[in-house]
Amino acid sequence: MNPAAVPTPLEDVQGDGRWLSMHNRFVNQAREMEPDVVFVGDSLIANLQNTDLWEKWFAPMHTLNFGIGGDQTQHVLWRLRNGELECIKPKAVVVLVGTNNHEHTAAEVAGGIAEICNTIREKQPQAYVIVLTLLPRGEKPNRLREKNSQVNSLVKDALRTLDLCQVVSVDQDIIMTDGTIDHRDMYDYLHLTLQGYRRAFEPLYLLLSNLLQEDSALTNDASSTLPSPSDHPSNPGPSAD
Amino acid sequence: MKMVLSQRQREELNKAIADYLCSNGYMEALEAFKAEADMPGEIERKYAGLLEKKWCSVIRLQKKVMELEVKLNEAEREYNAGAPTRDKRSPVEWIPRPPEKYCLTGHRAPVTRVIFHPMYAMMVSSSEDGTIKVWDYETGDYEKTLKGHTDSIQDIAFDHTGKFLVSCSADMSVKLWDFSSYECVKTMHGHDHNVSSVTFMPSGDYLLSSSRDKTIKMWEVATGYCVKTFSGHREWVRMVRVCSNGSLIASCSNDQTVRVWITATKECKAELREHDHVVECVAWCEGSTCATVNEALATDNRKPTYQGPFLISGSRDKTIKVWDVGVGLCLFTLVGHDNWVRGLLVHPGGKFLLSASDDKTIRVWDIKNKRCQKTLDAHSHFCTSLDMHRSAPFVITGSVDQTIKHMTGATQTPGAEERPSQARRCGATSYMSSSCPSPTGHFHPKSGFGEIWMLRGQVQGR
Repeated sequence: MNPAAVPTPLEDVQGDGRWLSMHNRFVNQAREMEPDVVFVGDSLIANLQNTDLWEKWFAPMHTLNFGIGGDQTQHVLWRLRNGELECIKPKAVVVLVGTNNHEHTAAEVAGGIAEICNTIREKQPQAYVIVLTLLPRGEKPNRLREKNSQVNSLVKDALRTLDLCQVVSVDQDIIMTDGTIDHRDMYDYLHLTLQGYRRAFEPLYLLLSNLLQEDSALTNDASSTLPSPSDHPSNPGPSAD
Repeated sequence: MKMVLSQRQREELNKAIADYLCSNGYMEALEAFKAEADMPGEIERKYAGLLEKKWCSVIRLQKKVMELEVKLNEAEREYNAGAPTRDKRSPVEWIPRPPEKYCLTGHRAPVTRVIFHPMYAMMVSSSEDGTIKVWDYETGDYEKTLKGHTDSIQDIAFDHTGKFLVSCSADMSVKLWDFSSYECVKTMHGHDHNVSSVTFMPSGDYLLSSSRDKTIKMWEVATGYCVKTFSGHREWVRMVRVCSNGSLIASCSNDQTVRVWITATKECKAELREHDHVVECVAWCEGSTCATVNEALATDNRKPTYQGPFLISGSRDKTIKVWDVGVGLCLFTLVGHDNWVRGLLVHPGGKFLLSASDDKTIRVWDIKNKRCQKTLDAHSHFCTSLDMHRSAPFVITGSVDQTIKHMTGATQTPGAEERPSQARRCGATSYMSSSCPSPTGHFHPKSGFGEIWMLRGQVQGR
């Protein structure tokens, strides 16, 4: 049994119930709003919504952010199986989680991510699943960085066969040529700064814009083949029914 | 005005004067000047003609300045008036211009709807924070908060007297508020899901609500009983609006259709399909707008006479469509918004449509030419709603950025100096008399008073 792939609610160690409050809020948001894009994951996802990039790039796409700081794959899995993917029909779901799974091996973490993707595929068959690669961590090369990049290659292999699923590398521009991470990109060598977010998330932004545009282009194409009645006022076009 | 020349400028001026004296043969003056100005020797060639040149250029520049000032004035006038330059613009053609007069803050969640009071200098906003707020739009002052709903408020509407306000909410209830005491006088339960939209019937005796439970319900105001249910939509009904004589009801839905219902029989008269996405909003085109719609469809050798009734719809497919309900056809489509269209209204003057969108802009559409006349960057987040005063040039907008903006125009504002409602009514009728009457006769009211009603129906019946 892979503990990273078994849905588990977070144990409320401190006793303020914040994790469950956030989950309940997300379930309500899913019920009331009609997102085209949903982000799920840990603090790297959650903090994104406090950036101007969120307002500029992602909010206009009708996006909901279901990120909770500290979450591991099994927690996200539990949330997705307990209401956060109900009542919605998003065009894309973006996943970034796994860097907090300290007690699990790379293979286990990759298994957890794959399970999350399978859950999304099952509950939202129409949605693109976009998996972001785990980001490197620590100023200098260390074993956690190695583990994360191992997870990334395992995830890429595991998801090759999943329909409408894409792995996007967001870790490339963060490590500098001398192998260190700049504090201007990651202020604590784990979380991204505004500049770091811009570097890491620009490929995602471009991909999402393309996907959403293609989607509307497809539907618009279908209608543009019909003659518009205003072009031929003497011979009104077919009434679409 | 004392001008101080620099050392270099003075030398230059002296040399230019010397050159002028020299080239005009004033040799004695030149010699005297040279001696006095302490300027021995020849004058360099580059000073040849310099004084004349400067002298002329002053005049040329003065002329240029005057020309530019005239142009600037014209441009300013055009900008203030908001549309093509005309010496005197009639209120029929008034359209909003930035920047806003007031930006009102106070809501703690996205603003879902903004509407003007039909009589007083008040506007009302509803929000996902579950409150309704009342504002004085002339001073920008906050007046009052109405609390009672326990979830996002989706829509609000006044009856024609402005005595009652109705609101609906994701808490599945519809509430009726006495607008003189600000008390909730009735709460109507019956919908099984989020109530998305409400509106009064023109008579004020009944009101309509639409819901995510796929139905539209009619409620008797006096008793609070549900008297009719309109079923047929296959998904969440987003908005319901009634035409000015009350005979037809328009609704739009997540099922991507617009439906028109016969009030009396609950029958679905038309199902209009051409949008590719959720249809967010509908509004009736009545009065002089009907003539403009026909003008839009006219060609050199053909003057169509579509009878209407006409309807406009805005969708998440980013387009606005103009429909002839009578023949069940989309007459034309307005393309321009870059994101979902969320709010629509017909300008009381009959020449324009106004729309609010998730692309953060408000757009003004010239119906006759079927094009976007003006785009206003209104908010920092999605624009959810807009309303226009029925007789004064005021537009209000609400946004997910939690603010409400009040835009106005440079042209005279009849509402501003004439507070009594009677003055407003005059203003409203003047809109009508200055524009063509409805060619259809379909909704043409009999009495003069009815004209005011019709106009209100246009603005509030978005």
